[in-house]
Amino acid sequence: MRVLFGILIAAALLGVNAWLYIANKNTPVPEGCENLKPDCSGCGITDCAIRKKEEE
Amino acid sequence: MNLLTLFLSALLINNVILSKFIGMCPFLGVSTKLSSAIGMGLAVIFVIFGASCLSWALYYYVLVPLGLEYMKLICFILLIAAFVQFVEMFVKKNSPSLYKSLGIYLPLITTNCAVLYVALDNITQGYNFIETVVNSIAVPAGFMLVLLIFATIRERLASADVPDAWKGNPIAFVVAAIMAIAFSAFAGLV
Repeated sequence: MRVLFGILIAAALLGVNAWLYIANKNTPVPEGCENLKPDCSGCGITDCAIRKKEEE
Repeated sequence: MNLLTLFLSALLINNVILSKFIGMCPFLGVSTKLSSAIGMGLAVIFVIFGASCLSWALYYYVLVPLGLEYMKLICFILLIAAFVQFVEMFVKKNSPSLYKSLGIYLPLITTNCAVLYVALDNITQGYNFIETVVNSIAVPAGFMLVLLIFATIRERLASADVPDAWKGNPIAFVVAAIMAIAFSAFAGLV
């Protein structure tokens, strides 16, 4: 029973995560923030998704 | 534990970067410009505080009653990732000005190990809710303090006459080591 609860909690958290990810992606960016550009020159994290998008 | 002692200890003595060596990636990565460091620091404070309070509640109100304490690591990782998504969505909808200044840094924080460290540390140390709140503000405040000091030093280093072999990360590591030695002097404070 305990294992089942564990699986249910993990599945619920995964579900919430997926739902929030999709909801966040579908939320429009506020006016004036469409062309926000990260200051990648001030950051040394090279495997970041934002930097990759910028480079594309 | 005295709350002031806890706050000062987490902020200066057991500083998350210079004493625990956690969160080194954004410390070295987002410290070459002061403006980036301020944005990152504020976003880290906000996310660590929210994620730690939620993690504490999840642990004591869900995992402990069900005897699932061993699942805290996976649950906290998922909770932090979900919280960051929620915060980004909330800020997008309700505060464009805040989104302008913090929005870019929010996705980066999901991978900041300091967030998970604080959530786990609150449980390991057996803090009650008030202590969790104090610790969850003090640790990221310490992170931001060190990040800002380091960013100002690195901005000056950019125009300093550093030998070629020491330019970039080598000199940054030397500065970080000197800062760690300086911060170790705070150990006598409490």
